Amino acid sequence: MRLKARTLEGLYALFLLFPLLFTLGVFFLYAFVRAVYFSFTDYDLFSPPRFVGLANYLRLFQDPLFLKALWHTLTYSLVVTSLQTFFALLLALALNQPLRGITAFRTAYYLPSVISTAAASLLLLWLFQRTGLVNQTLSLLLAYLPHLLVLALLFAILQGAQVLWERRRGIPTSFLDPALALLSLPLALLGTYALGALGLVQAREVRVEIPWLPTTATFLGIPYPLWAIILMNTYTTIPTFMVLFLAGLKGIPKTLYEAAALDGASSWVMFSRITVPLLRPVLFLVITLGLIGTLQLFDQVLFVGGSGGAPLEATVTLAYYVYGNVFPSGATPRVGLASAAALFLAGLTLLVVLLQRRFGVGERGWT
Amino acid sequence: MRNVLATLLVLLGFSALAQTQVRISGWGGTDIAIVTGLLREVVQPRLDKEGIRVIYEPIEGDYTQWLFNALSAGTAPDLFYVDIFWSESLFATGRVEPLDRYFTRQEVAEFLPNLVQAFTFGGKLYGIPKDFNTLALQFNKDLFDEAGVRYPNQQDTWETFEAKLRQVQSKLKDVAGLCVVADFARFGAFAFATGWKPFDERGHTVLDANFRRAFEWYTGLGKRGAARFAQDLGEGWTGGCFGGEKAATAIEGAWIGGFLRDKAPNLRYGTTFLPLDPVTKRRGNFVFTVSWSMNAQSKNKEAAAKVLKALTSPEAQQWVLERGLAIPSRRALANNPYFQRPGKEPELNRIVFQGSTPQGGAVYPFKFRGFGGDWMRPINEALQAVITGQKTVDQALKDAQEALDRLTGRK
Repeated sequence: MRLKARTLEGLYALFLLFPLLFTLGVFFLYAFVRAVYFSFTDYDLFSPPRFVGLANYLRLFQDPLFLKALWHTLTYSLVVTSLQTFFALLLALALNQPLRGITAFRTAYYLPSVISTAAASLLLLWLFQRTGLVNQTLSLLLAYLPHLLVLALLFAILQGAQVLWERRRGIPTSFLDPALALLSLPLALLGTYALGALGLVQAREVRVEIPWLPTTATFLGIPYPLWAIILMNTYTTIPTFMVLFLAGLKGIPKTLYEAAALDGASSWVMFSRITVPLLRPVLFLVITLGLIGTLQLFDQVLFVGGSGGAPLEATVTLAYYVYGNVFPSGATPRVGLASAAALFLAGLTLLVVLLQRRFGVGERGWT
Repeated sequence: MRNVLATLLVLLGFSALAQTQVRISGWGGTDIAIVTGLLREVVQPRLDKEGIRVIYEPIEGDYTQWLFNALSAGTAPDLFYVDIFWSESLFATGRVEPLDRYFTRQEVAEFLPNLVQAFTFGGKLYGIPKDFNTLALQFNKDLFDEAGVRYPNQQDTWETFEAKLRQVQSKLKDVAGLCVVADFARFGAFAFATGWKPFDERGHTVLDANFRRAFEWYTGLGKRGAARFAQDLGEGWTGGCFGGEKAATAIEGAWIGGFLRDKAPNLRYGTTFLPLDPVTKRRGNFVFTVSWSMNAQSKNKEAAAKVLKALTSPEAQQWVLERGLAIPSRRALANNPYFQRPGKEPELNRIVFQGSTPQGGAVYPFKFRGFGGDWMRPINEALQAVITGQKTVDQALKDAQEALDRLTGRK
């Protein structure tokens, strides 16, 4: 008997799909079903699981650490997603300019994405040490604050004088005219240097010693160590999304801009009426990927908490909470509780993405 | 008859069939070279006669996670390392074989009682200690000479020790007396010296006046100019500061020896006991220890017990000690000539060995019932908050007490 061509094709498709379906079935579907089951039980890997109903879920919400983790995860996700989307778009716009040697810049700006999270976390530890670069830079800035103020003042005076002079000659000049600034800035620098050398402006004794990592202090409700992670992750993920935006920008027809320019549209109008609406599908992708990625924050917490000495309470996230409960150091595994937390995180991710899609940026183009 | 059969099989080249295989596992890293050497030179020759073949499977990565998983899945080896820190939560699962059946009282009594006690759970012995560590005070002789300060010694109390550190720090400016860490694994030794106990009879933790006295002394070292916070010097442990000559002293165990051998081979250092509490005139210490334990589901328990005995035999421990690789857990080795050899490492190992004896004072195993790291975390966070000046002692201790009460169910 000969099989029909269509049946044969279907069988081939299944055959080729089998390896993927198999791994998905074992490592995702089976694991997921097990996790759902465990989340309703009290299980320590050794004694048989005991059914406890919703007790694990209730216990989660009585655990102050879980509530902290939830708060950290949500705020972290919100802050990082908005920051990285905004800056990625900005960078993509800048790198979309037809300039000579722009590819070199594109490559350079993409580099941070290539760093592994482990290496990035180590860098972060060094940067944010009490005697690290961040504190030293801040100290330097604050120490030379008088100089900076004098510099700004001198610059404003010199530039102002030049602009006034140009305007008196009847030439319309903006205050920040680059040609004039090219003269004012060196003069201002020279003046500041002279004042400094004469001892009229003196550096102050400032030593910034903010403990960025070993602390539970918060800024805007987010602990310092988490802010450090926010900065680091925004920095390393911007380039990836920038590439997506660049691809999106390339897809927008030039003719639209030309037509708009003929009608006398300003660049802001072109950006808000043409670029952003036409980028909606990419924007949706970037925001969704950003949300999913940030809700799963884990490895940086491990590094900053481990070698960085940041207290768990200041960095814990939901993903870390799950891990910490499956393998608590020196204690019996709490698999039931961890499964419940994992499922909660999965549900939360789904919910956040759906809400974003419903009320935020949708995947469809402009309406 | 069985022997004849075995001989026949060996002759026929089926040696693998005639042998009983015993699988053993521990963590990787430097241990691999030690265990491999020990097996090759001491253990296996002895077991060959009995027809036992040891298969060593070291585990790289997170050993604890691997072991818990393997025991749960039934794939664990016959013998494995158990670290004292998580021993109780593992013994409580019933997946570890009690060893009282395989060892006579006399055999057990040859090991240091502290260590045997540490691996006894619910009246049963669940592991034979293979080696151990305690804390000792290491000091950099060159830095003390340069500052013109007398070396720390075993009569030092917290006060005299601190005075020496202050002198070093003020004379040498860029060197800290000690770099303190916000870690109960170091601070705890001082808390024990005051007579404070981690758990009362009802299993609760009370941070009492004694604890507070040690806490205030330890967290105030920085403010009083005797120490700096390790994280501020870019280090995570006191040994890191010591090896980089950022601090004149360190509080570590014998593991610092191997680290210094690589990092600072020419560093002249001495070792002495931790300082005494000026009030109780006692010191405190931790024992960090690791045992060989047996899988309760092992199919060759008798053979595994023989391997266990060979691994912890006097010859095996002698072999390890003479190479300066670990501190033996047998009492008889206290008088081993190795400890009397001149040089910084034998001295370090001797002081660490004696840390577990009555000279060490109030010594507790490094374990906290089944709570593990969850128990230490509130105390570590309190230490950190006070050392970095974010909380007052009162506030920090109050917060820590609340967290511990939640954990241990006191209230």
